[in-house]
Amino acid sequence: MKISFNTLDRRLLMAMGLLTFMGLLTIFSAGRGSASQGHMWIKQAGWMVLGFGAMLAVAHMNPARLFRGSAIFYALGILSLLAVFAIGKKIGGAQRWIMVGGLTFQPSELMKWLALLFVAHRLGTKPPTEILTWELFGVAGLAFFPMLLVLKQPDLGMAISFLPILLLIPLIRGLKAKWVALGLVLMALLGVFAWQKVLKPYQKQRVMTFLNPNADLQGKGYQINQSRIAIGAGGILGKGFTSGTQTQLNFLPVKTTDFVFSVWAEERGFLGVLIALGLFGLLLNRILDIGRAARKASEVYFCVGAAGIFALHIFVNVGMVIGILPNKGMVLPFFSAGGSSTVSYFLALGLVMGIHRRTLGQ
Amino acid sequence: MILGLLAAYGWVQLVKRREMREMADRQAIKTRTSPAPRGVIYDRNGNKLVDNRRALHLVIQAEELPKDPALIEALALALQRDPIDLKRRIQASRQAGSNRMVIIQDNLDEVGLAQAELLRARFPFLSIETAPRRVYLGQDLAGHLLGYVGEVDESLMKKTPGKYQLGEIIGKSGLEASHNEILKGVDGERRIVVDHLGREVALRGLMESVPGKSVFLTLDAGLQRVLQESFGTENGAGVVIDLRDGGILAMYSSPSYDPNLFLNRLTQEQVKEFWQNPVRPMLNRATQGLYPPGSTFKLLTALAALDKGIITPSTRFTCSGHKNFYGRDFRCDGVHGSVDLIQAITVSCDIYFYELGQRLDIDEIHAAAVKYGLADRTGVDLLHESASRVPSREWVKKARPKEPKWYAGETISVSIGQGANGVTPISLARFYAALATRGKLFTPHLLYGMRDETTGKLAPIPPPPTQNSGMDPNTWAALDQGLNEVVRNGTARSIAMPNLAIAGKTGTSQVTTFVDRSHYAGLAKKLRDNGLFAGYAPHGNPQIAFAVVVENAGFGASSAAPIAKKLCEYWFIQRPVKPLPPPAVKPFSSFQPDEEGEAP
Repeated sequence: MKISFNTLDRRLLMAMGLLTFMGLLTIFSAGRGSASQGHMWIKQAGWMVLGFGAMLAVAHMNPARLFRGSAIFYALGILSLLAVFAIGKKIGGAQRWIMVGGLTFQPSELMKWLALLFVAHRLGTKPPTEILTWELFGVAGLAFFPMLLVLKQPDLGMAISFLPILLLIPLIRGLKAKWVALGLVLMALLGVFAWQKVLKPYQKQRVMTFLNPNADLQGKGYQINQSRIAIGAGGILGKGFTSGTQTQLNFLPVKTTDFVFSVWAEERGFLGVLIALGLFGLLLNRILDIGRAARKASEVYFCVGAAGIFALHIFVNVGMVIGILPNKGMVLPFFSAGGSSTVSYFLALGLVMGIHRRTLGQ
Repeated sequence: MILGLLAAYGWVQLVKRREMREMADRQAIKTRTSPAPRGVIYDRNGNKLVDNRRALHLVIQAEELPKDPALIEALALALQRDPIDLKRRIQASRQAGSNRMVIIQDNLDEVGLAQAELLRARFPFLSIETAPRRVYLGQDLAGHLLGYVGEVDESLMKKTPGKYQLGEIIGKSGLEASHNEILKGVDGERRIVVDHLGREVALRGLMESVPGKSVFLTLDAGLQRVLQESFGTENGAGVVIDLRDGGILAMYSSPSYDPNLFLNRLTQEQVKEFWQNPVRPMLNRATQGLYPPGSTFKLLTALAALDKGIITPSTRFTCSGHKNFYGRDFRCDGVHGSVDLIQAITVSCDIYFYELGQRLDIDEIHAAAVKYGLADRTGVDLLHESASRVPSREWVKKARPKEPKWYAGETISVSIGQGANGVTPISLARFYAALATRGKLFTPHLLYGMRDETTGKLAPIPPPPTQNSGMDPNTWAALDQGLNEVVRNGTARSIAMPNLAIAGKTGTSQVTTFVDRSHYAGLAKKLRDNGLFAGYAPHGNPQIAFAVVVENAGFGASSAAPIAKKLCEYWFIQRPVKPLPPPAVKPFSSFQPDEEGEAP
């Protein structure tokens, strides 16, 4: 397999590259002066190189082959999610990780993409008009099943990130009121079911805290407050690289993952926020453009779903750190440190790039 | 959605950026007040009486003050302290926006430190800080005189707004209070960068604290020790005045207290012992105790009569043991026969002075008391001095509004120092200082000079002005002779020394009323009188004047006079020869506990 950068979408690559670079700088700054996080940027750089390589590999595969294998991938993903319950590692009351050779791996990060891949494949086999309603329910079920498993870990933020997959349904059926209503009723039922049957009392408590951060001022409320101070203190141009007091003096919590964007905003200011959001916008725009140009339905669906998942993460995280959205513990693509998520995002982008190559006829 | 995000970031980063930056700075940059060490206090020979040393305290830094009432209650419970009190203290500090730490437990010892570390694990807002702490090296040697320090009271802060800061350590009593401005120094400030746990990360700015000025006292620690020891378990007070300038060489109030105790939070039992004790140990009897002067007052009666020209020193009256004045029989201790003034003083003949009392008006006695400094405060540099009282018609109107008339018979009692008379030992000592110096009215004082601890220079403070009461030389000569005769052949002949001539007057007076009467209930001592002795030495070339009161100890000749003798023995015979002016003291750090500067 010959790797050729020329055949990759340059704007997508540029946006992704810049965001990755910015993210790495931010993690470097956030980890400074902290014994436990001092070398995190090196680790993250390793994950980025690994992810980048994986992305290139996937980009040079034939997307059709990946779609054909999606059922197996999906099954493997579900198995790994189930494995989490059997052999998973418990950190902070939640069981989300599997230990693989000294590294922790979070199957749910990859699972949302596998679910999207499988759903896109299932829907793409028929013209939209021939898809029956029960098939749509089945498709929704494919998204909901891993989502429930993730919810049971519990990981509400991650569970929510499966929801963009459901975007594909109105894409096929058009945005009709009854579908929206049905979706809402379905979600409500699911919520009630999960609340009554799946979640344990302490998990419910955790969910309650997620939903109402103000009830826990010392914990989550403190975090949001410190994050807002960090962002505001950044002002227009920011306090400069490694010069944010909120970051460097550890007032900012979980600053390499959930609140990494606050670090960026403190040290780079409003201008930095505009640049980051602009690059994210460009990224989303390119994914949607590639999807629009794609020749196969499954490819279109995947691109739309991918844009949805990216958009959800970006919007929820960026909105969360400034306090306009509740704290759901959702990471920011390319910024937040974490092996599973980083590699997963790169893999997804790899497939989008592969679709682009195919569209261009290479 | 994008617009919503941009609006939120724009609002926080553009519109509110200053506010947010301030908030970031406020939690990262802290100003901490570092209390200045107070001035060291020396006696006149450079012996350290009060020092500072670094002590560890369990504190809450100003920015760490907990808000949660339940948390404060839990802390109070762990400390076995009154939760309401602790809550109030913490709340007040937060409201005042003070930079000062709140001291939770003072002066941790090894056990206290271990307990404090345990507490810190439960209450992470606590921290352990060093701060200078007072040490009273002489313990109860001069408790009332030196006083003690403590956190400024809320009531005092309200009374003098802006003068004190919450949590400031000020002098609460004694010299610590009266010379607080000299002793206190200027607190320093540290501006530091802290991390989220309040740990200091970097120093931004430092304003060093300026230690308070050290002072030399007129006090002689050795003499003070003699005075203290000679009181033993008796209650009372003694004062010794330097006849060159009115400096106080010794001043003791018994029972005394150890000021070190008041640096700690007192237990309820201690509060009771100190403040609800019928013996009133917190009262400085030397400056606040009003005692009927008894026969020591006779010299004032004599002065009033001589000044008025009612008698001359050779005027004689006959004492037959008792005499009727205004229809009441007044008794004398003996049958003295025909006595002149000097003899009357020598044997302390009451009849002689009754005769004078009959010939004098109460206002004339009062005027003499004013003239010779026995009717007011002496102006000693201690707070809350009581004014000595010699009655007058004006006074009686205020003091007994129900019976504002003065009876001539009362003047008879006053003339021998009984009745409504009440004098403080310090004013009595000053009166005898006036008798010693042909009428000089000193302002007794304790401050000799200030020592700058950084330059090591001692700057003597000029003594407060001395007035001249205008005593007639002939009058003085007669009284001086009489006082000398008291010790040579009179009531105090038991303290006569072959090599030192003491002049003085004994006194025995009915029990004072300032001590709660319940203290005497059922006690045999109840009926016993206060013994007094006041005088000066050596006769002919007096250098010191003194007054000693021993409560409920019977005759002054047997209780108070021996104490005066011990004082004179020490001062003129046993005292190690030391230059009176303070010697140059080698420089040292005011912070180190002094090895060789032992408690005197």
